[in-house]
Amino acid sequence: MAAVNGNATSSDWDDRYYHIDQILDRPGPRTDPSFQAGDDVKKFLRNKCKILVIGAGGLGCEILANLALSGFKDIHVIDMDTIDISNLNRQFLFRPKDVGKPKAIVAAEFIMNRVPGVKVTPYFGKIQDKDEDYYMQFNIIVCGLDSVEARRWINATLVNMVDDDNPESLKPLIDGGTEGFKGQARVILPQLTSCYECSLDMLNKPTAFPICTIANTPRLPEHCIEWASVLEWPRVYGDKRLDTDDPEHINWLYNIALKRAKEFKIEGVTWSLTQGVVKNIIPAIASTNAIIAASCCNEAFKIATSAAAYLNNYFMLIGTDGVYSYTFEHERRKDCPVCGGESLDITVGKEWTVERLIEMLVEKEDIQIKRPSLSTSKKQIYFQAPPQLEQATRPNLEMKVSELLEDGDEITVTSSTLPFNLSLRIKYT
Amino acid sequence: MNQSGSQSIEQATTAIQAQPDSKTRRYDRQLRLWAASGQAALESSRILVLSASATSTSILKNLVLPGIGHFTILDPGTVTGADAGNNFFLNGFSSIGKSRAKEALPLLKELNDSVDGEAAVKSVEEILGSAEGRQWVKSFSLVITHNLPQTPLDALSKLLWEELEDPPLIVVRSAGFLADFYIQFREQCIIESHDETAPPSLRLTKPFPALQEWATNLDISNIDPTEHAHIPFIVLLIKEADQWRSEHNGSLPKTYDEKKEFKKHIRSRMVKMDEENFEEAENQAFRMWSEAKIPSDIAALFDLEPLQQPISSSSTSQPNGVTKSPHKLNPEFHALLQALHKFVTSPDGPGCLPLSASLPDMKTDTTSYVKLQTIYKDWAAVELAKFKEILKAEYPDLTIDKAVVDSFVKHAHQIKVLRGKRFGSWEEDKTAVAQALDSYPQETATRLALNALSTLLHHNPDPTSITAEALKTEVQSQVGQGVELPSSLDDAVGELARAPTADLPNTAAFVGGMIAQEAIKMITKQYVPVNGYCVVDLVESKTGIIAN
Ligand SMILES: [Zn+2]
Repeated sequence: MAAVNGNATSSDWDDRYYHIDQILDRPGPRTDPSFQAGDDVKKFLRNKCKILVIGAGGLGCEILANLALSGFKDIHVIDMDTIDISNLNRQFLFRPKDVGKPKAIVAAEFIMNRVPGVKVTPYFGKIQDKDEDYYMQFNIIVCGLDSVEARRWINATLVNMVDDDNPESLKPLIDGGTEGFKGQARVILPQLTSCYECSLDMLNKPTAFPICTIANTPRLPEHCIEWASVLEWPRVYGDKRLDTDDPEHINWLYNIALKRAKEFKIEGVTWSLTQGVVKNIIPAIASTNAIIAASCCNEAFKIATSAAAYLNNYFMLIGTDGVYSYTFEHERRKDCPVCGGESLDITVGKEWTVERLIEMLVEKEDIQIKRPSLSTSKKQIYFQAPPQLEQATRPNLEMKVSELLEDGDEITVTSSTLPFNLSLRIKYT
Repeated sequence: MNQSGSQSIEQATTAIQAQPDSKTRRYDRQLRLWAASGQAALESSRILVLSASATSTSILKNLVLPGIGHFTILDPGTVTGADAGNNFFLNGFSSIGKSRAKEALPLLKELNDSVDGEAAVKSVEEILGSAEGRQWVKSFSLVITHNLPQTPLDALSKLLWEELEDPPLIVVRSAGFLADFYIQFREQCIIESHDETAPPSLRLTKPFPALQEWATNLDISNIDPTEHAHIPFIVLLIKEADQWRSEHNGSLPKTYDEKKEFKKHIRSRMVKMDEENFEEAENQAFRMWSEAKIPSDIAALFDLEPLQQPISSSSTSQPNGVTKSPHKLNPEFHALLQALHKFVTSPDGPGCLPLSASLPDMKTDTTSYVKLQTIYKDWAAVELAKFKEILKAEYPDLTIDKAVVDSFVKHAHQIKVLRGKRFGSWEEDKTAVAQALDSYPQETATRLALNALSTLLHHNPDPTSITAEALKTEVQSQVGQGVELPSSLDDAVGELARAPTADLPNTAAFVGGMIAQEAIKMITKQYVPVNGYCVVDLVESKTGIIAN
């Protein structure tokens, strides 16, 4: 690395920031009066500001390039994935020779080679490996993830980090996401604006097929594929994990699904559909990622420099029919389980069993959890794990909620997919 | 592990190894959007981009990655320190002083081995100055310009409006946080618009014979309970409608009360609680409120006259004495459209769009669903054959690819036709500009301010000569002295005076993504491109469309 960027004359040259400096040398008509045009803002951006990029995939590659060209010099990037051939249609820092290598490391090296003087520090691993001290070192965090779970984790972590006595503890989070020709970018100021959790009900819940359809009355090719992956794989392979990145595994599922489809005279099972269903593949193209990543980086630049007001707080784009975009303020939810002050009320029938309550929680769009465990400060209601505790609490599943809890009682919900403990207050109808 | 399990593994591993080839795997995430037909169109496209600016290379990056056939960068300039600082597709300091087009070329080409690229180190004036050069420009499938000065831009946009078949032109301009773009094209005929707002009719109010027969023969009160809970909602609704018509002089529910009553009837036929197919029938009952009609936007297309090259046009005029019949643009599409018109008005036809073979999922058992799917598919084939007969009778000399005809009929409910306008024609219409200033003040002000910037830089390329006042005066003179300017114009001219020549990396990337999206839509003829000026304001993170 040093050999590439060590040459002082090649890492800063006359007019290098000719374009950016037009913005930083003077305010525009809509710029906040607090903007300090000139050297101070440039020094902060180029010498002091430390920024974290989460994800080095479709959005991440674009974000890293934009930040580097915008003048951020101390960039960190986290990604737990390795490069796959299907990334190459959009993740433009990777080449066929890089397939199999860690995204974070390859991306960091590419940026440092291409944009002299920029330091990119990669971490090949999970965001959950890092603690609050780690996240505390950054001024801004930009997130280009495709996983809802990881987003919920970083959002909850940053909201919990806010300490009223320490203004530095508030870390602006800029989040982007795309699907096909559509996407969104948003700015989250933890505890001040709506957070990721506040808007969870805006997500489309992935289509889930009822087990009885899959087992007894398949109609669509998807039902046959689900039969292969959800029922046949565990039946045949027991505890062996299905690796959706392993083409052999996909091939097995494809053949099993195809066989079932033939048996039932259902058309349309293909390799590509099999892979799409079991991996829950979302279409992705370079151009949409470019737009959304640019929007995220534009906001990061505006927050870092105050050269213009940053987005308050949501930008949504639909490019399927012309260009339609909508910029609006997403409202905070007072009963947001992460940033709201109030606990969430849930209405339960007097006759409901604990099992029915759990089913209801799993289906609730604004909390989106899998396999929840329930308890109160006094007792355990139902635990999914460990096995002994599951066995001990299993009888409660058939009991009525009203036999265990009184109106207004608070229960704590935990789940491996939930990065925080959710508090719910029971209300009977 | 049981016997049948290990058998199926064996069968599975000896069965077909159908993993796609490496090209399909590479393009997997985009093939799910535009399929092999869209990909083939991209791969045969040839794109000319004028300038190797940061914005231009951003556009190209997003077109090389998905796999266009060829691109040429036309740029006579050498890399400055400023270029090396804001353009990701230059080699930093080491590119300074070298050709911009040639330095950018390999860094773009390495994004995708299957894309062919070329650097043309020439000025646009030189190209447009020769007949050969003008023909060369017209040989591309799409031309894109970024911040091209006014004089060559006017010449280029006029050149590409001479003949009907001239390639579309995308004009992109940006400065600082502001940008706009326009697509100049004659006509865009779209079969796969991917518009799912109006899904194809299931023909429930006008069932085709096999479907009607199913409903008629069904004896709902005399059926075993399991089967009862699996009758498809489609059949339930048709059955209920027959009953209703017989009691209401042949008409379907019209008033609110009638509709409520109809739903009540459905519910009353449940033999036990929670029969999901009956619940579904009740929820889908709205499908019975209106007859299967031809959607009005499709019907409007039937009156569309194909565009014709005027005989007087200089570039198509024949040597004296030879008369050539005027040729039409997109003749195949218009033939399909007229055949569709004949099909829907034919007295022995269904009186609506051809049946689509696709069926939504519904609460039923496998056998009934497959049976239903089969009768839909069979009847769709009957109507497709009828459509083809009409097409052949009307246009005996025209041979249209079978896949195109099939796709047209399958997507008949979502076809679209866009008619474009010449670049700059909007500004010539002072009334339209004044109206736009009134209805969309911010977007229109930004567009006009960018026009003014272009004019001022044309007269004096020194960016320090650009002031907010000068821009405002220029805007006023362009729209006419009497026209009142909105207060948002001050924001636009102020922002342009701040950064008149700044090609910001984030703006370049944003616009680069948008233009590539539009280019892909134009080339694949799938999805719907912008028809009008798209204005981008990255101070407020907004986009808007005017003059559409
Ligand atoms: Zn919240």
